[in-house]
Amino acid sequence: MPFTINKEEKKMKVAMIGWEYPPFKAGGLATHCYGLTRSLADKNAKVFFFMPKTKHKTSSDKKNLRIIEVGETDIFPYDRPDSKEIQGQFFEAVYKYNALVAAKVNVSIKTNGKFDVVHCHDWLTMKAGIAIKEETGIPLVLTIHSTEYDRSGWVYPNQWFIDIEKEGMEKADRIIAVSNFTKNVIVEKYGIHPDKIIVVHNAVYPLEEGHKQEIVLFLGRLTIQKGAEFFLKAANKVLDYEPDTRFVVAGTGDMLPQLVHQAVDMDISNRVIFTGRLTDDEVKHIYGISSVYVMPSVSEPFGITALEAISAGTPTIASKTAGFSEAFNNCLRVDFWDTDEMANKIISLLRYDTLHRTLAKEGRREINLFTWDRVADKTINVYNEVV
Amino acid sequence: MTSVCIYFEVHQPMRLNRFSVFNIGGDNGHPSNYFDHKLNQQIFEKVAHKCYLPTNNLLLDLINKYDGKFRISYSLTGTFVDYCQQHLPEVLDSFKELFKTGAVDLIEGTYYHSLSSLYDELDEFEEQVKMHRQMIKRVFNYKPRVFRNTEAIYDNRIAKKVAEMGYKGIITEGTEKILHWRSPNYLYKPVNTDLKVLLRNYTLSDDVGFRFSAQQWPGHPLTADKYAQWMSRCEGDLVNLFMDYETFGEHHWDDTGIFGFLSHFPGEVLKYKHIDFVTVSEAVERYQPVGDIDVPWAISWADEERDVSTWLGNDMQVACFNELKNIGRKVKEKGDKDLGDTWRRLQTSDHLYYVSTKGMEDGAVHAYFSHYDGPYDGFINYMNILQDLKQKIG
Repeated sequence: MPFTINKEEKKMKVAMIGWEYPPFKAGGLATHCYGLTRSLADKNAKVFFFMPKTKHKTSSDKKNLRIIEVGETDIFPYDRPDSKEIQGQFFEAVYKYNALVAAKVNVSIKTNGKFDVVHCHDWLTMKAGIAIKEETGIPLVLTIHSTEYDRSGWVYPNQWFIDIEKEGMEKADRIIAVSNFTKNVIVEKYGIHPDKIIVVHNAVYPLEEGHKQEIVLFLGRLTIQKGAEFFLKAANKVLDYEPDTRFVVAGTGDMLPQLVHQAVDMDISNRVIFTGRLTDDEVKHIYGISSVYVMPSVSEPFGITALEAISAGTPTIASKTAGFSEAFNNCLRVDFWDTDEMANKIISLLRYDTLHRTLAKEGRREINLFTWDRVADKTINVYNEVV
Repeated sequence: MTSVCIYFEVHQPMRLNRFSVFNIGGDNGHPSNYFDHKLNQQIFEKVAHKCYLPTNNLLLDLINKYDGKFRISYSLTGTFVDYCQQHLPEVLDSFKELFKTGAVDLIEGTYYHSLSSLYDELDEFEEQVKMHRQMIKRVFNYKPRVFRNTEAIYDNRIAKKVAEMGYKGIITEGTEKILHWRSPNYLYKPVNTDLKVLLRNYTLSDDVGFRFSAQQWPGHPLTADKYAQWMSRCEGDLVNLFMDYETFGEHHWDDTGIFGFLSHFPGEVLKYKHIDFVTVSEAVERYQPVGDIDVPWAISWADEERDVSTWLGNDMQVACFNELKNIGRKVKEKGDKDLGDTWRRLQTSDHLYYVSTKGMEDGAVHAYFSHYDGPYDGFINYMNILQDLKQKIG
C-alpha cells in the first residue's frame, strides 16, 4: 500500500537521525537534512529529527516536524580522529552520541508510538540506526552524503570509518546515494548490491543574484577533498592573461596555512582573498556578486554549493566526477587536476559575455528542477519500499 | 500516378582541435591545425565502412535489379568529397558508379554546408554554390538542376537568388509553417520568383530517419511492405523522402534491420502500379506547381522548430555567427587564400550546431552528433579559434 498524503490514512512517522542542522552547519549534510525534513513535513509525513545539542538553538516552525536535541558533543561530521581539539576523545564521543540517540528514540517510541522508518545520514549516526533497527525491527534507511574515501580525497582512508560505513550499509534496508558516482563507490568499495541503492540528487533553495564583480570564487572546506590548491594553480594561470581578476577562497580547514603559503609562493597573494569561515548571509552575498564559481573537488559525492552558486546566477565550473556534474547540464566541467583547462574556462567566462550570460540564464532555468519537494517525493518512495 | 522522390544528404564536417584561450595569438603554425585531422579521418572511415560503402553497394544492386526503375538523388557536400579524396577514394568511386547508372541525380549545395545564405549579402553564398558546381562538374561532369541549401534552409530571398543562378528547383521542408492546410505532396512556387519547390514529407521521411529503431513508436517494427502501403495511400503528385544518408548503418545500426528494410523497399513500392520513382530533376520536369509559398523568415528541416534556431538559437551562436561575418569582411579585404579557405571551413554549420543549448528531445539529438562535452565547450573552442583567426588576419 503506497504511502500517500491522504488525511484519512495514517501519517508516515519517521525518526531521522542527523548530526547538523541549520543554523549549526558545516556542510551539505545539514542543508540536505533541512530541505528534506521540511518538505517531508509539508507532504504530511511526521518527522522527528534527532540531533546533538549545540550552542545554537534549533527549532522548527512546522507542526509535523520536531527537532529533538540529544546530549552534547564537540565533534563535527567532517572531523578527522587526529583533530587536535578532541584528541583521544573522538571515538568515545561518537559512541556516546549514538548510544544517547538510540536511548532517546526508544523513549520516544514508548511515549509517541512506533516509527515506520529510521533514517540515518552518513557514518556518524549509523551505530544508532543499527541499534534501533536491531532492537525494534523498524526498517533502516541510510543516506550517504560522502564516504570515507571522499573525505580523505582517496589518500589513506581510515579503516575505522570504513568499517562503520560498511556495517551500516549492510544492515540498512535501503541506501540513498546522492549521485551515481557515490552509488558506484558504495557498490565497488563496500560490496553492496546495487539494487539496494537509490540515487536521489540534491536540491537547493534558490539564492538571489547580486551585482556581479570580476570575482572567481572557491567556497568549501579547505581540505584535501575539495581541491582548493588546484583552484590557486588555475588562478595563477588566469592572472597572466586577465590580471585584474580577483579570486576569493571562502571557508576554512586544515589546509588553510598551506594554501596561503601557496598563494604567496606564486606571487598572487594580492589577487587572492582568504575569507575564513563565512556567515550564512556572507555566503549568500559572495555567491551573488561572483562571476564564476569553481568546484575543483578531488572527490565530490554531490556538491550542493554548485547548485547554490548557479541559483545566484553564477556560472559554475565543476569537477567532472562530482555528483553534481552528472545531474546538471548547464555547467562547465573539468578534470580537477587539469588546471590549464580550468583556467581556459575561467578566462572564457570572463571574456565571452555571451557564454556567461547563457550559462547564467540556462543554469537558473535548470535549477528549478532541483527542488527539495522532488527530493522528498523520491525519499518517500524509498520509505514505501521498506515499510 | 504518384512519384516517390528520394534524396540523401551526404555530409561530414571538419571537426575542430581543442584550442584554448592560451593558444590564441600563439605560434600554432598553419591554420589547418585548427582541425582535428586524426579524429576526422577516424570518423570518416568509420562511417564509410558502416554506411557509405555498404549502402552504395546495396543501392547499386537495387538499381540494377529493378532496371533503373528505382531512382535516387544525392547531395554531396564539398567537405564530404574532400574527405573521400583524402582518405578513401573508393567511396567517391562508388558514387561515380552509381551516377553512371543514369538512375542517380546530383543536387547542388553550398560547398562548405554553410549558413552563408543567412549573411547580409549573398555574394559569399553565390561563391560557395559556384565552388560546389565546379566540383560536381570536375568529379561527375554534370550540372545539377536542383538546389538544396544547407539543412534545407529556405526563404524568399534564397529562392530568388537560386532562381537567378539558373536552377529549376529547390528543396525545403514541408512544414505547416508555410503550407498551413496544404499537402507537401505537390510542387509549389515561391511567391517572388520562378522556381519549383520540392517539399519534404517529414512524417514519412522521419519514420525512417528518426523512428526506424524506436521501439516505443507504434509503427515499430517498420517493414518495407508496410511503408510502401503507407506510400500507396498518399494523395498528390510527389512524395519527397529526404534524409541523412547516415540513416543507413550509422544512425540506425545494421542490427536494427535497416539494410534489410532498404533492400526490400523498392520492390514493395513497385508492386503498386500507380507509383514510380523519380529523381529530383525528373520531378521538376514532370510536375507543375499547384500554389505559391511565401517564406519571409527562414525555415529548415532541423529540430522541432523547423527554423534556423538550431544554429542561431542562443546568444553564443549569434556571437559566433557575427564574428564569422566580421572575419569574412577582413579576409576578403586581405585576399589571403589560405586564411580564406580556413574561414570557409569554419563556416560549416555543424560548428554552430554543437553550440545549441536546446533541451529535451532535440538536445539529445544534438548531443549524439557532438564531440564536445556540451554546447558551452563547443562555444569556447570555436570562439577561441575565431579569435585566433582574427588575429592572424590582423
